[in-house]
Amino acid sequence: MGTGTTSRAARPVWQQPVVQFVVVGLVVAVFLAWITGVLGERLAQEQAIDDARSTTTLLAETVVEPALSSGLLDTQAGDLDRFDRLVRSRVLRGEVVRVKVWDANGRIVYSDEPRLIDQMFPLDADQGDVLASGGSDAEVSDLSKSENTLDQELGRVLEVYSRVEAPNGEPLLFELYLSDNNLEARADELYRLFRPLTVGGLLLFLLLTTPLVWVLSRRADAAAADRERLLVMAAEASDAERRRVARDLHDGVVQDLAGTSFALSGMARDTLTTADLDRSALRRDLDRLATAVRRSLLGLRSLLVEIYPPNLEGVGLGAALQDLVANARESGMQVRLDVTGADELGADVTALIWRTAQECVRNAVRHGGPDHLEVTVGVDAAGRMATLTVTDDGAGFNVDASPSPDSFGLRGLRDLAREAGGTLTVRALPGDGATVRLEVPAS
Amino acid sequence: MQHTTKFTIAKIGAVALSGVVLAGLATPALANDADVIRRGSCAGNSDWKLKASPENNRIEVQGEVDSNVNGQTWKWRMRHNGQVSARGAATTSGPSGSFDVRRLMVDLSGTDRIGWRAKNPATGEVCRGSLRY
Repeated sequence: MGTGTTSRAARPVWQQPVVQFVVVGLVVAVFLAWITGVLGERLAQEQAIDDARSTTTLLAETVVEPALSSGLLDTQAGDLDRFDRLVRSRVLRGEVVRVKVWDANGRIVYSDEPRLIDQMFPLDADQGDVLASGGSDAEVSDLSKSENTLDQELGRVLEVYSRVEAPNGEPLLFELYLSDNNLEARADELYRLFRPLTVGGLLLFLLLTTPLVWVLSRRADAAAADRERLLVMAAEASDAERRRVARDLHDGVVQDLAGTSFALSGMARDTLTTADLDRSALRRDLDRLATAVRRSLLGLRSLLVEIYPPNLEGVGLGAALQDLVANARESGMQVRLDVTGADELGADVTALIWRTAQECVRNAVRHGGPDHLEVTVGVDAAGRMATLTVTDDGAGFNVDASPSPDSFGLRGLRDLAREAGGTLTVRALPGDGATVRLEVPAS
Repeated sequence: MQHTTKFTIAKIGAVALSGVVLAGLATPALANDADVIRRGSCAGNSDWKLKASPENNRIEVQGEVDSNVNGQTWKWRMRHNGQVSARGAATTSGPSGSFDVRRLMVDLSGTDRIGWRAKNPATGEVCRGSLRY
């Protein structure tokens, strides 16, 4: 896999979370505005009907019923005139645009529209109920009904019925038509009342939360970019690892085994051609070659440990680190390994400590050439923080120098430590060794 | 009376003819096509006037007495199809010593009969007139 960097393509505006949040919020605000208008109109209509019923009942009891006369029921002109003048002066005011008085047979005893007087129309069930039981009823007028033929110019009106009684006890139906021209105004008034609570509230919510969403979105984008970078680094590290293993095999074990092979071939030839074979010399040579083969085997084992991390849960972090530093010890380096509290660590923390120790030991052996190497693992008294310290007295390096393109180790480890909620610090000076310290939450 | 259907040229002619016959007692006059006006003399020195006009599907009735004396109180009464529609009292005023009252009556189907009566209780003079509309 080749090395290099990848860049995240910029998302279209409509795919950005903040834009989507604001758009959805505005759509919801518009919907709320609409539903508030609908509810406001409905509420206004209910209020208008309630008001109309109250008005009708009041007029029926205080104005109309006291003015009813038997002459009115008989369509006597004088009674009609007096009742008409009363209705025009005290009833036909404000929202009241039509007045009708019905008898139980559906005859219009009186109307402010004289052409309706003495006309007969069938009463509907609601009107019959009010006539029979009293009370009042209200509804939006159905102008298609025959009784409303002359009421078309009134527009949309509310019909309200109330029962009244003639002086002879005959029940009559007092009907008012009330203009609902102010219904829209009343709905607007209610809408204005609710708008700050609904639409305004939502807009305020949008205003307050949009910055939060923006920040969260930025964080999510940054986290995604970090993950993507780590993946790239892991892939690049894996590539470099394979190259390093191949180089180690070629420069180390392969060379040793080749040398051993040549030596053995020479010895085999000598045993056939030399008459006076020095058996003690032969034995020394064979012991030396056996030592070389064991060293090669040890090198291969260390390489295997590096290539394939041990089963940390099975063998434990301490044993795995012993294997890790074995190669360094074999090469003559003074190694001190101190592991305490490793059993209390979580699996992810153990793996991170192992991975960090592996990288640090490898760097020390390969680049530092130290005489002493110290690896310490511990957990603080509260059992909350785990610490790994790898110190060597080798060649050291300049911490501030730009890492080589192949140097992914410490950079990647620093990211891994941060992901785990910890820190990785490096102290090193050219010619004065290096110390790498990892601190992470223990669980 | 529904003036849109009833008020015909023939009827205007009939009213005018009856006015000629009753000259001296009640003189009909026409203000416009829809109005019906009657005038006449009371029992004394006063004159009366009765006028019916269409007004928003109703009949506006105007009764008037002209006695040429200021400060007289008259009791008046309007009838509609024989029923008392309105009544009251009024006092003459102004340069002409007159009063007038206006009332709206329901315009019923068919011909409406409208009567006008005024009486001066002090002198006993009575004015009386009528019209059909």
